[in-house]
Amino acid sequence: MSDVLLEVKNLTKYFETPAGTLHAVDGLTFRLERGKTLGVVGESGCGKSTTGRAILRLHEPTSGEVIFEGRDITGISQKEMTRLRTEMQMIFQDPFASLNPRKTVSEIIAEPLRLHKMFKNKKEQEKRVLELMELVGLSERLVNTYPHELDGGRRQRIGIARALAMKPKFIVCDEPVSALDVSIQAQILNLLKNLQKEFGLTYMFITHDLSVVNYFSDEIVVMYLGKVVEHASSEDLFAHPIHPYTKALLSAIPIPSLGARKERILLKGEITSPINPKPGCRFAPRCEYAQPCCFEQSPELKEQEPNHFVSCHFSDKF
Amino acid sequence: MSAERTKKRSMAVEIWQRLLRNKMAMLGLVILVALALSAVFADVIADYDTKVVAQNISERLQGPSAAHWFGTDEFGRDIFARIVHGGRVSLVVGLISVSVSLLVGGSLGAFAGFYGGRVDNVIMRVMDVFLAVPSILLAITIVAALGTNLVNVMLAIGVSNTPNFARIVRAAVMGVKDQEFVESARAIGTSNTEIIFREILPNCMAPIIVQSTLSVASAILSTASLSFIGLGVQPPDPEWGAMLSSGRNFLRDAMHLTLFPGLAIVVTILALNLLGDGLRDALDPRLKQ
Amino acid sequence: MAEKQYCIDIKDLAVKFTTMDGVVHAINGVDLKIEKGKTLGLVGETGAGKTTTALSILRLIPNPPGEITSGTIVLEEKNIFEYTEKEMEAIRGKQVSMIFQDPMTSLNPVMTVGDQIAEVIQLHENVDAKGALEKAKEMLEMVGIPGNRAGEYPHQFSGGMKQRVIIAMALVCNPHLLIADEPTTALDVTIQAQVLDLMQKLKEKYGTSMLMITHDLGIVAEVCDEVSIMYAGRIVEHGTLEDIFNRTSHPYTEGLFGSLPNIEKREEELKPIPGLMPDPTNLPAGCPFHPRCVYCQEICKSRVPAQTHLSDTHTVACLAYEEGTGVSLGGKHS
Repeated sequence: MSDVLLEVKNLTKYFETPAGTLHAVDGLTFRLERGKTLGVVGESGCGKSTTGRAILRLHEPTSGEVIFEGRDITGISQKEMTRLRTEMQMIFQDPFASLNPRKTVSEIIAEPLRLHKMFKNKKEQEKRVLELMELVGLSERLVNTYPHELDGGRRQRIGIARALAMKPKFIVCDEPVSALDVSIQAQILNLLKNLQKEFGLTYMFITHDLSVVNYFSDEIVVMYLGKVVEHASSEDLFAHPIHPYTKALLSAIPIPSLGARKERILLKGEITSPINPKPGCRFAPRCEYAQPCCFEQSPELKEQEPNHFVSCHFSDKF
Repeated sequence: MSAERTKKRSMAVEIWQRLLRNKMAMLGLVILVALALSAVFADVIADYDTKVVAQNISERLQGPSAAHWFGTDEFGRDIFARIVHGGRVSLVVGLISVSVSLLVGGSLGAFAGFYGGRVDNVIMRVMDVFLAVPSILLAITIVAALGTNLVNVMLAIGVSNTPNFARIVRAAVMGVKDQEFVESARAIGTSNTEIIFREILPNCMAPIIVQSTLSVASAILSTASLSFIGLGVQPPDPEWGAMLSSGRNFLRDAMHLTLFPGLAIVVTILALNLLGDGLRDALDPRLKQ
Repeated sequence: MAEKQYCIDIKDLAVKFTTMDGVVHAINGVDLKIEKGKTLGLVGETGAGKTTTALSILRLIPNPPGEITSGTIVLEEKNIFEYTEKEMEAIRGKQVSMIFQDPMTSLNPVMTVGDQIAEVIQLHENVDAKGALEKAKEMLEMVGIPGNRAGEYPHQFSGGMKQRVIIAMALVCNPHLLIADEPTTALDVTIQAQVLDLMQKLKEKYGTSMLMITHDLGIVAEVCDEVSIMYAGRIVEHGTLEDIFNRTSHPYTEGLFGSLPNIEKREEELKPIPGLMPDPTNLPAGCPFHPRCVYCQEICKSRVPAQTHLSDTHTVACLAYEEGTGVSLGGKHS
């Protein structure tokens, strides 16, 4: 019996733009078990960040269901949603833009505690702030510093402490390490892993970095222009990717060791726009195996192998 | 770890300490405090009935001297005494009317910028209507309709300045509202009003402060214009702008009639600008050395 | 063995910046050589001094606050510090050209891409406007953009296309040395693969030498011949690809590899380098890496390590490789 924390059904988010309807997320469906990590990968404009925000209702989903602990949260009132925010949190990409420059470290971390009136007096609240700072490895003497005085790694730790303040169950990590240097990146990844073990957190890990997502996730969803192209366990996906896009994506990762170089699949062209997408497979214009039917009919996400979902008309041929 | 360093410094104390380090801002502050004190203790400095309003034709249009520091005007009244008393009106009108426009215009602009769409459209079109009428004409209309007294003058000038504040605050808010820290505030459940006032507006201080200090200056001048056409301060009550405009007729022979009230306005505005600049820097923790 | 020919030879370069917060020692005695036609990877994290090194080669360090305090940069057998500013202008874009990190901001938004490339040609070659535009179109074709798009403006191109335009612009005068400062960091992986592939092909075609500045060891493994690892304004390790990847010697380089998730063995735990980059206004005494080094000994805190030659191609700046220092890197022999 699996313990599902979050279930997303047919999640869709469209934005109206002057040029037409932008299909940022189109019919996303997945389940996420408690304590696990779901990696969401894709290139810029594939809708991975919008997905995270739509699940937390930072962007109101256009349609679909987000079932958190057995309850659909897309319809609930703002007031209830505010309460739910203590259980669903987010860590942002840019540690330089995601912290208010006018507030000190302790004010930033204490903000959610103050907002949800967690403590009756200031003393206890301050104690909790210091506790959180220690948890994420921030030295106590930094309480009164401002974000701009700190480096990216420390700022990201502030963001993590703030997200953890309310003891959430589920955290969306939106590219939490992509703005950081390699050595700092590893520190933050280890911190997130340890926190997951300690508190049984469930993560949705959004990134464009495939080696990071592989290290971090139990399952991976690969997105292309708002649609899921492949969904499998990390081992499975990296061992034998099925979708042509996933294959090209995996082959494009520069590997930091010699002799590991494999045949690279160079994709032709560039990512097209998700505004008023044409019918058919969205990857078809760049796919070397594309057939006429790929341009006419949109492929369904189907279970090609046990727990390995692919959205391609010819998935059984690869 | 010393307890001293982890102890929370009060925000106000910190800003004050940063302001203290700015010499020009302190100069501005000292001037303003001096002006305010002289306005408060105007009656002690010069008696209203005998020095300020009582005419003394035999001493008219005298230049500066030991008896009359700034000279006398066309009715033989002591200009220094009139400036000290006039400061009461000018400073109060300047500060109150700007507070009115800041509060009303600032809030409207903040809501317009934050919510965008229809809210923005409605608020800003109304502001445009106000902007289309020359502000002095608008002020004249308001004072004429409500009656001539100081409160109405302040209200009129405040209202006529409101669209400027709305525009500036709206632009500043729009520049800040899409930053990630605003989204981060939303993610922890902060309400929209709190986001506007606690997260966004503190990051919009620079243009607001600059606009405020400039507006105080223009408010003083607007009061003068209103007084000039008889809708502001009534003669013989002193007021800087009114003194300036009545002195114009004697510009060639008795320059001091316009020089000193003019200087009073310039010094006040300069002091406000210096303080405003310093305040803007002190409020921004990023500029902390 | 024939004498190696170097395209550029930097010796003992030091650059400092005088700022309000103090003096930033951005580069502290850097030696770099690039053999003709080869690619050198310059690897390091933010603040290591990679970009400053590149700008020094073009003599584009803003002065003030920057100042080159020592060293020589020999380009084609002549020290560039002896050139006049006028001569230097002729070198930039012609002998040495540079590709910047952000393709979004390195093109002029109000000029067509064709004109922007043609401008570079006219600056350095004696051709008329029409001929220059013709050549610009050829160059665009070369980087995989149809020549008839020369009349379009930068905003009409995607990120990857813009980076191609910039590459075209950088290569149009057949430079001897191409400096690429994180050329693909702002691009998606599949586009990055395309751009790297293109750069590699063009480099081979023209025999250009290249200085590839990056933080990504994966890119280094793919495009470079030699690698210099930079930390706090110093080269801490230098060698061929095999030297660096298979005979990793400096604890910092080791730490960099330990920080990267291994795509093949996902269970393997990351071993990050503890601590942070040192404050450049207040660099630690001795070995700059000592506060973060797991093998640090007392002597490391006071003695600056010299470059030790481990082989003809491999040098390292770590006291563990110097005689009689007593520093040892655990199980690894020195």
